[in-house]
Amino acid sequence: MQVLNYDIPDDLYYSKEHEWVRVKGKTAVIGITDYAQKSLHEVVYVEAPKIASRIEQSQSIGSVESVKSVSDIFTPISGEIMEINTELAESPELINEDPYGEGWIAKVQLVNFRDDSKKLLSSEQYADYIRALEE
Amino acid sequence: MTEPTRRTHLYEYHKKTGKTTLFAGFEMPIWYKGIIPEHMAVRNAVGIFDISHMGRALVSGPGSEAFLNYVTTNDVARLTPLSAHYSAICNENGGIKDDFVLSRLEREKFLMVYNAANRKKSYEWLIQHSRSFKIEVEDASDRIGMFAVQGPKAQETLQKIADSDLTKIERFKCGWTKLDEVKVFLSRTGYTGEDGFEIFVWNTPLSNSANAERVWKAILEAGNSFGIEPCGLGARDTLRLEAGMCLYGNDIDEDTTPLEARISFAVKLKKEAFIGKDALQKQKTEGARRKRVGLRMLGKSIPRPNCEVWKSGQMVGRITSGTFSPVLKCGIAMAYVPTEHAVENSPMMVKIRDKLAEAKVVKFPFYDPMKYGYRRQNNAGVKL
Repeated sequence: MQVLNYDIPDDLYYSKEHEWVRVKGKTAVIGITDYAQKSLHEVVYVEAPKIASRIEQSQSIGSVESVKSVSDIFTPISGEIMEINTELAESPELINEDPYGEGWIAKVQLVNFRDDSKKLLSSEQYADYIRALEE
Repeated sequence: MTEPTRRTHLYEYHKKTGKTTLFAGFEMPIWYKGIIPEHMAVRNAVGIFDISHMGRALVSGPGSEAFLNYVTTNDVARLTPLSAHYSAICNENGGIKDDFVLSRLEREKFLMVYNAANRKKSYEWLIQHSRSFKIEVEDASDRIGMFAVQGPKAQETLQKIADSDLTKIERFKCGWTKLDEVKVFLSRTGYTGEDGFEIFVWNTPLSNSANAERVWKAILEAGNSFGIEPCGLGARDTLRLEAGMCLYGNDIDEDTTPLEARISFAVKLKKEAFIGKDALQKQKTEGARRKRVGLRMLGKSIPRPNCEVWKSGQMVGRITSGTFSPVLKCGIAMAYVPTEHAVENSPMMVKIRDKLAEAKVVKFPFYDPMKYGYRRQNNAGVKL
């Protein structure tokens, strides 16, 4: 759905720190939302998490940086990093151009998504959250 | 404590066209299209900045030269009418109270343009020291609109709407002209490393901003064919950093001296007594223990203010300004390090988000001065 000027796909989970999660079986892909990339504006550097590292929900696993600002990536889920988007090293602007697609950040092996999901928002809930922020 | 947010003549334009932020009490544009396209427009063609937030003081009267020579570090006697120089105000310890550009309008009339953040402090310092001189100091900040037009196409852009030949105004010279029929004062100065002008729209109070808006609009139209961009404070900061220029409050303050900051070209110790002279003379004799250096990152991470600088397993300094360089496409920074380490190509480490990242000491400007900046080789038109 489109809320204000922001794209919020229906089939994803969201965190209040503006990350998204796309779950496929036991794995998930994570990234930052359209709202996050628009707030940062021109992304010029992504500090990627390390492959095989164990991550806990809400922990900072890296950063997305614009010319002026640094924004932590707080992982929305726990698990183990299986893969990172290596394209971002050369083309960090993919986060601006396609935040839910080519701008993905990492693929994670889930360990306890049932518990993690309690803290996540549905697209409708995230849309309400964005509306409240923009008021 | 909280003062109301201040605005410039162009506030409506900024609000409508750009994204604004609070800077030194002013609601100013941070960017319009984006920091990178605005930055590159200035490096490759031309950009225009509203800098009416800056402090502007007029010093006039028979004692002006003597007064300014006493409160500032550069030699005002060597400043001929309609020329400008970069200078500083120091405290008794040689610490920098402010840095600014001083233009000599007439034999006995000067215009000082200083940092927005120091508007009150510097004006009060001038007043405080003016008593024994036959002069008048006027804070003219709110009755003069001020824009910067910067980039290799700055002169051609302004020439289209100017009623005099701008090639006659050389770098660090000034003059009066009309831009789209509005009388303005121009100085060939700037804060980007590029050729360009700073424009003062005289007698334009905030309550009647028509002339300022008219000049702004006319410049945007004149620069349209070159791809002019309105530029915000974001690009202003990345441009000055790439050029190796100090930002007051970040890279220089009352605890740093011109020698440490490597701006001693603006200090003339041979002239008569001035505030801070003894301390600066002493430091020159003994040598400064630390120096401001440029650091270029070898990897991709971006240094930010306050990051630690390490050398041979020891912390030796801190970043004072750091950003992503749109021209070099890597992180660049300024830092103070012990003088023995302030050596070109010397390897350094910068602690960024708890990781040590490789950097090396480089000279200013960060970019290749043959390709960018006012010295670039293809910069035709003006003898430098």
